Amino acid sequence: MDDLTSIPQFVIRLFGVNLVFNTETIFMTWIVMAALIVFGFLATRKASFMPNPVQQVAELFVKAFYDLTKDALDDRMAKNYFPLVCGLFMFLLFSNWLGVIPKLSEPTKDLNTTLGFGIMGFFIAHYAGIKKKGIKQYLSEYFQPIFFMAPLNVIGEFAKVISISFRLYGNILGGSIIILIVSHLVYGLMLPPFLMCFFGFFVGTIQAFVFTMLTVVYISVQVK
Amino acid sequence: MAIEGVDLMKAAAFIGAGLAMGFGAIGPGVGEGYAAGKACEAIGRNPEEAGLLTRTMLVGQAVSESTGIYSLVIALLLLFVV
Repeated sequence: MDDLTSIPQFVIRLFGVNLVFNTETIFMTWIVMAALIVFGFLATRKASFMPNPVQQVAELFVKAFYDLTKDALDDRMAKNYFPLVCGLFMFLLFSNWLGVIPKLSEPTKDLNTTLGFGIMGFFIAHYAGIKKKGIKQYLSEYFQPIFFMAPLNVIGEFAKVISISFRLYGNILGGSIIILIVSHLVYGLMLPPFLMCFFGFFVGTIQAFVFTMLTVVYISVQVK
Repeated sequence: MAIEGVDLMKAAAFIGAGLAMGFGAIGPGVGEGYAAGKACEAIGRNPEEAGLLTRTMLVGQAVSESTGIYSLVIALLLLFVV
């Protein structure tokens, strides 16, 4: 049970500040990025009117997420923001699925990854809001219904980041802890592979979709 | 074997983790069951929309699960960090 709490770290001391790198997370993120690059390469290498299977899957992704973004935002903004949405979903999907392969672990099991994506979504949403409405109206939104509600509105914005990133992190970490405990109890009979598929494929897909969906919703709340 | 302050703190943290997980599981359990029940009703009334309803239900359940996940994170913090 020791590998539950251990996080492999690599510390550099630079100008009196400790720079801590979570080596496993960084390495797994590289694996996911490499898999995505290979997938993109295979999908576009021989792009033709009669698509090969990989291109077919990629077109499915693109179509589904373009429609989804177009529903939430308007037509012109969907063109700008849909690459972000599709890329975010595919990265999260691949990283949630990575835990199914033995010896590999999900990069989303680390709070730093999910919090990074949450903060990225926060900044993008607010940038989109400022760009669409202008700084004056953007600031006046905080003083809606009455002026003394401003602190509550600010806290509400930060709570979105916390909730979206802790949801993904907790789901993935909780799933892997349950797998670990059950395989400790039954010594790897039938149950752990089944649980791995459930938490890796089913929960991982749903959580990746929910994360992407909520990022889109936060952007659309800001621009409306 | 004398019981010291550290042991008491450990015991309190374990009890707290159990309570946090137990009480925190009530809300998501009720909420997700309610969502599933309503989805069943809707599918019964409108069976051709089953795919869309199931998808929406799953996303809604995943969102309403988040309070349970918070309590899981708190319980893990209590177990392993305190």
